[in-house]
Amino acid sequence: MPDAPHSRELTLTGTPLVVEGSRPPRPHVIEQIRGPGAPRRIELNGVQIVVGREGDISIPSAQISRTHLRLSRQGADYRCVDLESRNGVYLNGIRVHSAVLREGDRLQLGDVVFLYFTGSAP
Amino acid sequence: MSLFVKFWGTRGSIPTPGSTTQRYGGNTACVEVRTDQALFILDGGTGLRELGIDLIRRYRGKPIVGHMLFSHPHWDHIQGFPFFTPAYQAENTFHIYGTPEGDRRLFGLVSGQMRSDYFPVDFSELSAQILAKDLDSGRIDDVVVKALPQCHPGGSFAFSLESQGRKVVYATDNELDELLPDLDASLRDPDAPRPLPAELIDFVRGADLLIADGQYGEEEYASKLGWGHPRATTTVDLAAAAGVKQLAITHHDPMQSDVDVDAKIAVCVARASRLAPKLIVFGAREGVELKLA
Repeated sequence: MPDAPHSRELTLTGTPLVVEGSRPPRPHVIEQIRGPGAPRRIELNGVQIVVGREGDISIPSAQISRTHLRLSRQGADYRCVDLESRNGVYLNGIRVHSAVLREGDRLQLGDVVFLYFTGSAP
Repeated sequence: MSLFVKFWGTRGSIPTPGSTTQRYGGNTACVEVRTDQALFILDGGTGLRELGIDLIRRYRGKPIVGHMLFSHPHWDHIQGFPFFTPAYQAENTFHIYGTPEGDRRLFGLVSGQMRSDYFPVDFSELSAQILAKDLDSGRIDDVVVKALPQCHPGGSFAFSLESQGRKVVYATDNELDELLPDLDASLRDPDAPRPLPAELIDFVRGADLLIADGQYGEEEYASKLGWGHPRATTTVDLAAAAGVKQLAITHHDPMQSDVDVDAKIAVCVARASRLAPKLIVFGAREGVELKLA
């Protein structure tokens, strides 16, 4: 796993996605625009990615739980799930337990803000 | 001890697949409410199909027991049922509630859409136990359920579910504007207060989450009077009057793109900021799950 705080561009491998007879899935991206480590752009290539102080995407913030949020690939989409975090997950300002992410979504975890973009974004 | 609410279909009238409706989704009405003990399915529009797939994944062969509350039997609230895979599995049980006591009309309409004229598999061929139940206000497992008649062509019901100190109200297909004492004045001056019936406000009062019909924007409603759906902004007045914490506006009009829904919700948020600054307003969106802890 690359050292996130020093990376401007980060590729997470996780469990590789292999679907026979299909093209590789589109790369989805989250951009961290606020909080420790920002700004940075993270390409999502794993099936499951944990964001937290001790996550695959590591964020050294007291407002972030050790394992705060999981991003899971579901077909062509990514779904986010709050991992019982202390400060919760806010999707476009609304506290959610989970959600299928859509183009331009804003995810806030404590003092950290991500924007989510699908591979189809111009 | 938590209460989960997940939106599986937030579109009104007819499914609207396509790139312009991806954010809020194109499936028709279906909401899952889950407590520690019970599974509720509120309406069976096309969103029910994907809920069924997900239930099978989650239960991994264990019996599924679900309570299905249909607001009314219009197509966009029942058309997912024939594609609800758990209904084809013998180990599962689903209770279908109609109101009031002794009224089997709803059960008949839900099952009748599977007659051979409409669908290749007959209702009698479903393997799961599917039972018609009465729903006069009462307790189902750890949830107190209440129903209230609404203003909609052919009738519809709102449902209130209370459990573990949390309250969710599902109130779709309700033309609130028809209930205003002076609709014409309200149309002339959209900023004027919109007083709604006390019985309705009491039913909704104190809800942690109100999921309510807000199909139309101001301009759209002018040509849709009597179609059974309100201005989204009138739904805000209901939530504000009833001291609701969060309002999820649903049953988005099939003509509305994601951009249109965003604009509709923005107007509602502005109205809420004037009427009840603590009220949280958002557009119900397919695939979003809330936890009311």
